[in-house]
Amino acid sequence: MTGATCFLPRADLDRLFAALRADDRTILGPAVSDGAVIYDEVASPAELPTGWESDTEPGSYRLRETGSSRAFDYVLPVTSWKRYTHPAFVPLTRARRDGSQVEVEAVLDPPPRLAFVGVRACEIAALDIQERAMRAGPIGDADHAGRRDAALVVAMECAAATSTCFCTSMGTGPEVRQGADLIASELDEGFVIRSGSATGAAMLAGLDLEPADPAQVERAAAQVAAVRTRIGDPVAVEGLPERLRAALDSPRWEQVAERCLACANCTLVCPTCFCTSVGVASDLDGQEATTERHWDSCFSLGFGRVAGDANFRPKVKDRYRQWLTHKFSTWFDQFGSSGCVGCGRCVAWCPVGIDVREELAAIAPVEGPRGPIPWPPAPDAGHAPAALTVVAPARHVTTSVVAVTQETADTATLRLATSDAALLAARPGQFVMVELPAFAAPPISISGIRPDGLDLTIRSAGPATAAIVALGPGAQVALRGPLGRGWPLESAAGRDVVIVAGGVGLAPLRPVIEAVLADRARYGAVRLYLGARTPGDRLFAAEVAALAGRSDLEVAEIVDRAGPEWLGQVGIVTHLFDHATWNGDRVTAFVCGPERMMQATAAALTGRGVDPAAIWLTLERNMACGVGTCGHCQLGPFFVCRDGPVFSIAELGTAFGREGL
Amino acid sequence: MTTHDVMALLQGTWFAADLGPRALGHLAALGRFEEIPAGTVVVREGLRCDSLGVVISGRIALRLAVPGSPDRTILTVHDGDVFGWSAVLPRPVATSTGVAVVPSSAITFDGPALRAGLAADCELASALFERLLVSVSRRLIATRVQLLDLYQAGAAPW
Repeated sequence: MTGATCFLPRADLDRLFAALRADDRTILGPAVSDGAVIYDEVASPAELPTGWESDTEPGSYRLRETGSSRAFDYVLPVTSWKRYTHPAFVPLTRARRDGSQVEVEAVLDPPPRLAFVGVRACEIAALDIQERAMRAGPIGDADHAGRRDAALVVAMECAAATSTCFCTSMGTGPEVRQGADLIASELDEGFVIRSGSATGAAMLAGLDLEPADPAQVERAAAQVAAVRTRIGDPVAVEGLPERLRAALDSPRWEQVAERCLACANCTLVCPTCFCTSVGVASDLDGQEATTERHWDSCFSLGFGRVAGDANFRPKVKDRYRQWLTHKFSTWFDQFGSSGCVGCGRCVAWCPVGIDVREELAAIAPVEGPRGPIPWPPAPDAGHAPAALTVVAPARHVTTSVVAVTQETADTATLRLATSDAALLAARPGQFVMVELPAFAAPPISISGIRPDGLDLTIRSAGPATAAIVALGPGAQVALRGPLGRGWPLESAAGRDVVIVAGGVGLAPLRPVIEAVLADRARYGAVRLYLGARTPGDRLFAAEVAALAGRSDLEVAEIVDRAGPEWLGQVGIVTHLFDHATWNGDRVTAFVCGPERMMQATAAALTGRGVDPAAIWLTLERNMACGVGTCGHCQLGPFFVCRDGPVFSIAELGTAFGREGL
Repeated sequence: MTTHDVMALLQGTWFAADLGPRALGHLAALGRFEEIPAGTVVVREGLRCDSLGVVISGRIALRLAVPGSPDRTILTVHDGDVFGWSAVLPRPVATSTGVAVVPSSAITFDGPALRAGLAADCELASALFERLLVSVSRRLIATRVQLLDLYQAGAAPW
């Protein structure tokens, strides 16, 4: 909603501040602090950076005093508005343990009523882009949504630009066209201002301003047009996502990694980066604990780390590639736009002066190839949510352990009782976050779905899983879920089913076996191929022995190594079927195990004629939030927790098994 | 058992299923069917390997001796797999000990006779070495994967 353009005399700026305060809002705006402009609480216009300009270059930011009467000539502050819509620290849960009793409750503080004053066009785009990321998928981030909805935006069109600006290329500025409640342009004598929303219109009406003189409107327009001219068009964005996808093996990644410190400055100052981790704090005896979400970065070494000391992006070049390809390529797949707004903060605040514009031009030159695209588009809306259950992300259901079965030396199955309808509606292949006070919540695949509860089969691999596995009957744990996309059992109806499991990979496949056998007539031949490290590491040994006794399915087991007492097969799991005579055309395969084992299995299956679209596997990545908002588990255009963890080989394309993704 | 019977058994395995009729006939003429009771050592690590076998049924465990501990099974071979492949080498020394862990059967080939046959029949040599290469390559790939010890438990961040 855009009303008449008014003029706000500079001396009357405090009237706007008063109106914002009268609307019960805390005013945030630019202020000089420690030699830089930052966003902070500003009590009055006197605290604005009047008479200051900023000069930025790659690796350099300097404030310069001009003596001007203008308050918004600084171009961009160091910090962005995400400090307030996506704060660096957000409390998530409070948990208590009393003996065996556990209670976890979500913390969702009411959002503050804020007014953002001086928001640039690129930053409005950033607010919009981050909002779409945080609200994407079936589950949105409630904290972010509340904060964004409660914020009022007073935009200020740019009257100056620095050498690091490239909003013009990214299509986000410098003109403000939408997304603000009030839109202002600063002139020497005051502000040309118009409304951009009903809230803004009401506020403007309350100020009872005179209409702006046409000459003032013209000067404001000329001012921002001059900024556009000054910035130019430094980044060739046409075809950039495709060019980047084709450049995953560019030698430039190594070269930039030699300079990059992986300090994460770029992601911290970026107004759209949203990656987070969860920290746990507890009292000494673990009876009271809180969790808190905090900013993290895909540049952090441990960001892609998973169980078994595996790290999917161990090298700096992997992490730089992840960041750059996400910003300028896979962001389109996930959220329908670029993840970059061209504010240039990452350029200015890189301590070694890496200029993203220069890297893009070198890595993905305009004349460079645009294919092959290493992965197909993300699962479409009609496909991805098929097996998803929408749950509130902050819903923690307390469940009770009713039985514990020690499967191997380090792995146990906990049978949990619950009457929670959402948990009982879990689908094979989904997972839950298992919360025990004082421990980080691990994502655990559901290994059994019963009318009165769930089975979780957990390998003790760290402090949290060790504590969970040590629980006895009567103890409680809280679950969040079910989460993720499960196995598409419906796609196997009328077809032969091949199930290949390696090690603890049998756990998420157990519900598939149970579901297939519960509706046996729906499927053709069913073949179960199981691999394990040693005979003593086989999961569900008694159940597997019972299955082997059935006449309506084929079961074969193999172990990597064995002593002379083992008379079964020794070798790798693909040896169980690579010379089999069954017809791959009719097969739908479900595969789970270490990724390298799944690669070999997928190759053996496709070699036997199984369609890659009919080979389903479940991926392991660092799934910290479980709902696609923390960024840890990204693989190409996917968040494994939200878009998977079950994918077909056809969906993953060559992203599957590629080093450093 | 006649050569024709041996041919039929060989043809039923992946190892020899697509051998041409002349090569298959020549190979079958060199082989003989053997029943192998459970526990029989068919080849012993480090000793001369005097025969190549193609498993027809059952399971042969290939084991390595580990001083101070029991022998370790590193692979089992089944229908169509071979044991004693070193028999075709100029210096035929077994690389593992093969033990039938269940009652098994195989078509076996006398090493010197087979080597002479291969030297005299290029078509047979080409076909057999190709299949042996496939078999040995399959083991090499498996060994590489086993070396990765993929299922080994490791530390986790949680």
